[in-house]
Formats: sequence, C-alpha cells, structure tokens
Amino acid sequence: MFRPVKLTRVTIQTPEDHISEVMAIMGDLRLMHLIRVEDTPLGHMGYIAHVNTELLGRYDALLIRFNKLLEALQVSSHPPVIHQTPRPDKVIFRLEEECATIEKKSIETLEQKQNLQNILGEHQALIARLRLLEPLKIDIDRLFALRYTTFQTGLIPEENFQRLQTSLDGIQHSLIPVNNKEGRIVLLAMALKKDEAILLRALKSAFWDPLELNTELQGTVTSILEKIGAEEQEAKKGLADLEATCKELALQFGEKLLFLREELLLARQLLLAREKFGQIDHMYLLSGWLPKALFKDLKQRIMAACAGKAIIEQVDPEEIKEVRSGILSIPILFNNPALIRPFERLTTLYGTPTYEEVEPTGFLAITFLLLFGMMFGDVGHGAVLCVLGYIIFKKMYRYIDYGIILMECGLSAIVFGILYGSIFGLEDLIPALWMHPMENINYFMAVTAAIGVTMISTGLILNLINILRQHRYEELFSASGLAGALLYWLLAALGVRYFLVGPPTAFEIAFAKVTGGILFTLMILQRPVRLLLTRRNQNKKGPLLIQGMAITFLESLIDVLDELLRYFANTVSFVRIAAFALAHAGLFLAVFTLADMIQHTHGQGFFYWLTLFVGNVIIIGLEGLVVSIQTVRLEYYEFFSKFFRGGGKPFQPLFDEKGTKENSSHQTR
Amino acid sequence: MLLAAAKYGYLNAKVRSLRSRKLTEEDHHFLLAAKDLPTCLTYLATTSYSSCLPEFEQEIPELRVLERQLARPLLTHYAKVIRSLRGAKERAVILALFRRFEAENLKILLRALFANLNRETVSHLLYPIAHISTLQWETLWTCTSVDKCIKHLPPDIFGRPLQNALPQFEAQGRLFPLEMALDFSCFHLLWQAIYALGKGFNRTVTKNLLALYIDIFNILWVIRLKIEYQLPPEEIVNYTIPEGNMISLACLNRLARAQDITEFIHLLPHSFRKELSVINDWGNIDRCFEVYFLQSLSRIFSGQPFHIGIAMAYLLEKEIELSNLITLLQAKAHNFTIEKSRARLSWQLTENTYVPTS
Repeated sequence: MFRPVKLTRVTIQTPEDHISEVMAIMGDLRLMHLIRVEDTPLGHMGYIAHVNTELLGRYDALLIRFNKLLEALQVSSHPPVIHQTPRPDKVIFRLEEECATIEKKSIETLEQKQNLQNILGEHQALIARLRLLEPLKIDIDRLFALRYTTFQTGLIPEENFQRLQTSLDGIQHSLIPVNNKEGRIVLLAMALKKDEAILLRALKSAFWDPLELNTELQGTVTSILEKIGAEEQEAKKGLADLEATCKELALQFGEKLLFLREELLLARQLLLAREKFGQIDHMYLLSGWLPKALFKDLKQRIMAACAGKAIIEQVDPEEIKEVRSGILSIPILFNNPALIRPFERLTTLYGTPTYEEVEPTGFLAITFLLLFGMMFGDVGHGAVLCVLGYIIFKKMYRYIDYGIILMECGLSAIVFGILYGSIFGLEDLIPALWMHPMENINYFMAVTAAIGVTMISTGLILNLINILRQHRYEELFSASGLAGALLYWLLAALGVRYFLVGPPTAFEIAFAKVTGGILFTLMILQRPVRLLLTRRNQNKKGPLLIQGMAITFLESLIDVLDELLRYFANTVSFVRIAAFALAHAGLFLAVFTLADMIQHTHGQGFFYWLTLFVGNVIIIGLEGLVVSIQTVRLEYYEFFSKFFRGGGKPFQPLFDEKGTKENSSHQTR
Repeated sequence: MLLAAAKYGYLNAKVRSLRSRKLTEEDHHFLLAAKDLPTCLTYLATTSYSSCLPEFEQEIPELRVLERQLARPLLTHYAKVIRSLRGAKERAVILALFRRFEAENLKILLRALFANLNRETVSHLLYPIAHISTLQWETLWTCTSVDKCIKHLPPDIFGRPLQNALPQFEAQGRLFPLEMALDFSCFHLLWQAIYALGKGFNRTVTKNLLALYIDIFNILWVIRLKIEYQLPPEEIVNYTIPEGNMISLACLNRLARAQDITEFIHLLPHSFRKELSVINDWGNIDRCFEVYFLQSLSRIFSGQPFHIGIAMAYLLEKEIELSNLITLLQAKAHNFTIEKSRARLSWQLTENTYVPTS
C-alpha cells in the first residue's frame, strides 16, 4: 500500500509475422507502459516506428459506419468489456463483414425513415410559412396566375417599412402588411412585372426575408394548410411504423453493434500503439515497464505464440544506468486497496510520487478521514453525505471516485458524531461516547495539537525514509532532515512534559539546551561545511574561507530559523480542527436559536421545521465545503510539505477499460 | 440648475480636463509640416498620443496597426467619462455611443469568420475595447461560423438585428447586410438610451446632437453608395439611418436620385448649403460636413455646462480628431504634399500664421 507496484523493464524482440499476436497478448495483460523505442538509444540504432496507415484508415472508416448505425438505431446502453484482445490485422475483415451484414438488414428501413423525416421537416417549414400568411384571404394560385403584376411574400423589420415605401416611390407598387412576427412585418409586396428588378433590389436592401411559396399550391392558405395537415398526419403514421421497426432492429443488433465497435476501438488502439514500437526490416522491438509479477506469464505466452522465435529480456530498475543516474524515471503504478484508491486523485493533484518515494495515498486517506470526521462530526450530516456519495457512486460514472470519498467522509462524520453525541445538532438524543466539543474547548484544542505533532512527526519519519531511499544522505543534517526532526521531537517532548506532568526539571532543561544547541549548530553549519568539502573534493586550491561563504552561512541560518518557525506554525495550524468542529457546533446553535425565535412568534409549525431544515442544508453545504478545503490544506501544506516532493511519471497502460469507454462515448457523441 | 450642477459638475470638469489634452493648432501645424511619416510620428510622440505610440527605433510600425493603437486614448476617455457619470441612464447613453466600436470589432470578427481567418491574423484591426466592452469576446472568437456567432450575441445588443439580416446574408453570400444591420443597431441603441433619459434638457441636447450626426452620416452615406458603390436609389434609401433632424426620408430619396453635385447641394437644407457653396466636386464634401459638425460640437461647450451632451460632444470631437490624425498619417505615408494633405483634413488652420515661440 505504501509502495507502488514493483516494475521491471521488458524488451521484446519479435518477427513481423508474430507482432499482432504479441500485441494481442499485451492487450490481454493490459498493464504494460510502453516506451517509445525511437526515443531510446535503440532509436539511434535504426529502430523506427511504423504505423500501418492504410489499416488505420480502414478502421476509421469502419468506426464512422458503426457510429452511424448506432446513432440511427438509437442504441445507447453501456459498451461491454472485451476480455480477449483482437489481432488488428485480422479482426478488421470480420468487423467489416459484420458491419455490412447489419447495414444490409437495416439500411432500407433507415433510409425510409430518413426520407419521411425530411418530408415532415419540409411540411413543417411550409406550414410555418403559410401560417404567417393565413390572414391573407387570397387564392395563392391566382397570385401566381397574374400576368402583368409580380408579387413577393416575406418579412421585413418593422423599422424598415417606411424606408421601403419611400424607396419604391418611383414605381407603381403596393405593400400589404399581412401579419406581425417578433418585430417583423409579414408583407405582400406587389409591383408591375416590368419593375420586378427594382422591387427585388428595394426588398433586398430592406433586409427582406422571403417566404418562398410553391407554384403548385392551389386554393386559399387555409385550404392548403388543411391539405398539408392531412398529408402530415399520414407521414407521421408511417414514421411511427418505421420507428417501431427501428426499435426491433435495435433490439436485434444493438448489443452486437456495441460489442463490435468496442472490439474495433480496442484493435484500433493497439494499432496506434505501434507508434511506440521500433522496426528494422522484419523484426519488431517493443520496450516498456511491466509489473514484475506479470513478467513470467507474459514471457510464457509470447514464447508459445511465436513458437520460441521471440527474444524477451527483463531488467530490474536498479540495474539500469539511466535510472540510477536519474535520467530515466520509472512510472508509478499505484497499489492501493479499493477503498483508498479514490484518494489517489488527491495525491496526484499535489504531485505524482517518484518510484523511490513513499507512496503517500494510504496516509492521506487515513488522516483525511480522521480530520474531516473530527471537524464535521454529526451522525445526521454524515448520513446525508453518505447518501449523496452513494447517489454519485450509482448515477455518475465519471465521478465515482468522489462518490466513494464522500461516502467514506460521511462514515467518518457518523463515527465522530457518535463520539460527540450529535444528530443533526441535537446533542441530547444519544450520549456522547467521547465529549461534546463545545463543553471541552481547551481539551479539544490540546488533542488537535497532539494530532498535529503526530502528523508532522509521521511526515518527518517518511521524509527520513525518502532520504535514505533516494540516497540524499547530506540532507540528514538539515533542518528538514534528521537533525530538524530530532530538535522538533525534543521541543515537542518538552511541551508534552510541561502540559501532562508539569514544568521540566533543571536537568531536563539543561539536556534540552545542550542537545538543542548542538542540533541547531549542526543544521546551520552543514551547508557551509558541505560547500567546503565539495571544493576540497574538486582539489581546488585557495584560501580556506572562499568567496560567498558568509552569504552561505547567513542563508543557512535564515533557512534553519524559517524551517523551525514553520514546524511551530504547522503544529499550531492543526488547532483549526478544533476551531472548525466548534464552528460546526456553533452554526447548529445559531440555527436552533433562529428556529426558537420563529417558534415564539409562529409556534412550532411549518416555519420552525423549515428553518431547521434550511439551516441544516446550509450547514452541510457551507460547512462541508469549508471543512473539505481545510482538510486538504492541512494535508497538503502541513503534512505533504514535510516529505513529499513528487515529480514522478504516472504509469500509462497500453489501454484500460476506462480509456476505451471514454473513447467510445466520445465517438458516439 | 443646482441639481444639474451637483449631478454633472464632476463630469463637466473631467471632460474639460480631458479636452485640454486635445491636439492644439500648434500640433496641427507641426504634424502637417512634418516632411515624412517618421518625423510626423516623432512629433506625435510629444503630444497626448505618446503613450500609444510604440518605440520605433528599428522600424516604423505598420500604419494599420498604428491606427488602432491611436484609438487607445479615445477609448480610455470613454471609460473615464463612463466612470465620471452618476446615473445609469446617462452611462447607458455613452455606452451606446461606445457600442459603435464594438460593432466595428464585430464586423472584423464576422469578416474573419467569413474568410476563414484566425484571430491572430486580424487582431491588429481590432479596437482595444476589452476594458469597456460587455460582450463575450472569447466565446465569440471560438465560434466557427457567422450564424453561430450571431446566436451568441445578446438579442438586445446586436443579436436581433443580425438575426433579421441573416436571411439576406445567406441569400446574397456577402457580409454587407450584416454590416448594415450592425450600423442600424448602433443608432437604434443610441436612440433607445437617449429616449430613456426622460423629457428634459439632457434629452433635447443629446437628441439634437445625434440627429445632426445622423443627418451628416446619411448624406455622406448616400454620396458613398451613389458614387463609390453606384447603387440604385431604391437601395440607397433603405440603407440610411432613420430619425435624422433636418434631412427627411423624402429628402434622402431625392438626394439618392440627384443627377449631379449641383442638384445634390441644391436639394440639401439651407444651413448645409451655406457650408457647401464652394464645393464643385464630390471629393472634399465630407471635409465640409466634418467642419460643420465640429462647429456644432464646439457650440455645446459654450452653453449650459451641466448636462450629458458635454460628454457626448467631447467624445465625438475626439473621434473626429482621431480620424483626421489617421488621414494625415496616411497622407504622410503616401508622401502627399502639405496642401494635398491639408485638403483632406477638417483642422482649422490659419495660413502661415504660426510662429513658434522661442
């Protein structure tokens, strides 16, 4: 849990004939972080990437066809999970054939449906146009039959009407307003046929929006509308029949289509992964990071698939020169139990740990829940958070991690609610198993300070482990290393001694002074001394006190003072836990006071309970947000800053289920 | 009067202080007398425009880039004037006046979308209005087509008129209907804001100013459409702005049908005819109207000082100064003679009378 999954660097050399099989095996194992061979020293040896663009083009074209079918048949359920990875070069033939079969069986219905939809669309547009002209009680066919007069129907903005009239002063014309629509006039404009060009020019410049009518229209607008309405009804009936057929087709082919498309996406992704392979003549080279435990299985399966023609090598990270020298970083594959896994999001938000560092998610999860529960302790509110988290968990796939975190926070709040004896702020329903925060303010603050000391101490210990793992031994004597940690613990021990037992003895004070003095001097001097030693190692001659030494000494002194001050500030910062727990209780007090005031004026009726309900909703929303922010703050600034440097590289598997699903949903859209 | 003084006293002082930074006759003289564009710019750097002139030790910046930069003081003054105004209705008038610059930027945006150009390519043509404009420019620039862009505009600011013009844009396949709709919309917004001021001196003075502005705008627009674009009269009338003061729609119709300049001037109201008596070709007619308008604007500053018209007059005056400056820079860039340049400007210069102080 506190270390990432152990990885090993795998290099696979395989003949071209077997590359698809090797890819399929890697796809089955899923957990392989490929390294682009061209970017490694092997790239300089002539191994170049090669993606079969022709095949990729076939996949892309097929994907469009699948998406069209799924959209037309309105298939929208979740895509299935593919357990066996297909061979991209082979599976395309089956996919193309299956797609063509489904297309053949459904294309006629879909085309008919599309045609009917188009006809309906045209009808609706015509109806909308004709409705605007309905007040005009003229036979449309008679207008079209006029020999010496031309006419136009359309809309113009109201403010342009007068100008239009003026602009047509020079010709015989008639402008008949028929209707009004959203600040525009529906107009029948008429002029002599010889002046048609002038009329059109004038209309055009008056922002004319023409209502184009068909010469086939016969009779008055009302009779035409009736006729079109009847035709529309018939078309709608036909469309309903076709939609029922489409539903049957969706039932028949829907799941199959989803499965095939998922297979296609997987194969396409595998094909794209070839970008990271290296190729010389007919040999392929793949390189990447794999969980050590999977190597044996991978080797066996590849050797079996390639009839022993593949060469598979494994190198542990410690044996790789580039890793040792820090040029190459090993990706991080988190290894946390399901309940802690959602907190990885919070860890990566701060930074991705390096392979050698302690993986802090476990610590983060435990302390986060502890701090949140302490600040938000209430059985009722915790239960509400749990329910909210469950709804998110069930309904919002994309936010499932946050749903789990919310549920866990809710549970923690329930536990502390039981300890505080609080249900929706009512403190007399259940007994407090620990204490009522409002009645034990000083004690609560001391407890939170103790939690602060514990968390900072944990951070310091984790930092020491990181220093040892990363061989940064010189930092042991710094204020953030062992010397600083010892001084912090010494002062913390004195503090604890003072508060629990009483003032320290003279010997204890003398011991603390001497030890503290030594540690303090060590912390200040370590940097200038290191500078001198480095200079000596480089065999540089010259005076002992080199230039800049005083500045280094001064910097070191300021750094140490700053670091020690920060230890103190960070510890005190944890008192906010008590402050926010008290604020939580205080808000309850305010809500109940308000409700009591309403009770006095209106009685214990609807408004009393409404006040309590709204108050609780506000507390959950506002306080929940504030407490979350404070907890994250304590984790990041007070805890993580003590040991967590980050800068690692996340493990990117060849493909994961989630990735494929996201991809497919995107494609559907 | 006391109430008006309390309300517009600060505005009046502010506007007059801003007006004191106008280019003086001395500036006009030296700018015009500059032998070339670099010299002209060097002198300009000693005036209130210095802040918007980039360092040009290596090379002179492109003129079209400079033009938009020179508008920076004017737009800053808009912001200052808006800040100096107390009432929301008064602020709305100045904001409506400012919307003409938004409309200009919107035209550039529409042109860019129409011609498939990206923002960077046309950014130098945009007025720097980000500090005042309320439109969602970032969203507008992400639109991929003209109609999508129009959908993103608020209906009460440009949105509805552009929607109305959309069918003509689609039918004609050119941006002209949309650009016209934007111009109409600007004036419509201005009228709306002015009518919202209520019956009083503020409305009278701003109404008169705007009506005169529209009259001149319409006359120049008729000339441009008639002479440059050679549009038929039935189209020209539809492209004019309504609610002018002295020029009626019927008059505009007659102007659009005028055969020559003499008939055109004869058809104009008497007060304009007096200014245009010396004109015998279409070339310098716009300069004469500009002079006439400037005189009308300067009269505003000599009357009752506490009203919104002061701000409006100043901003229009400053705008004309800017347009003159740009004309001058263009003339210098094309190496026009001083006389030729002067003929294109509405600056009132007293011939050979300026003697620099020692």
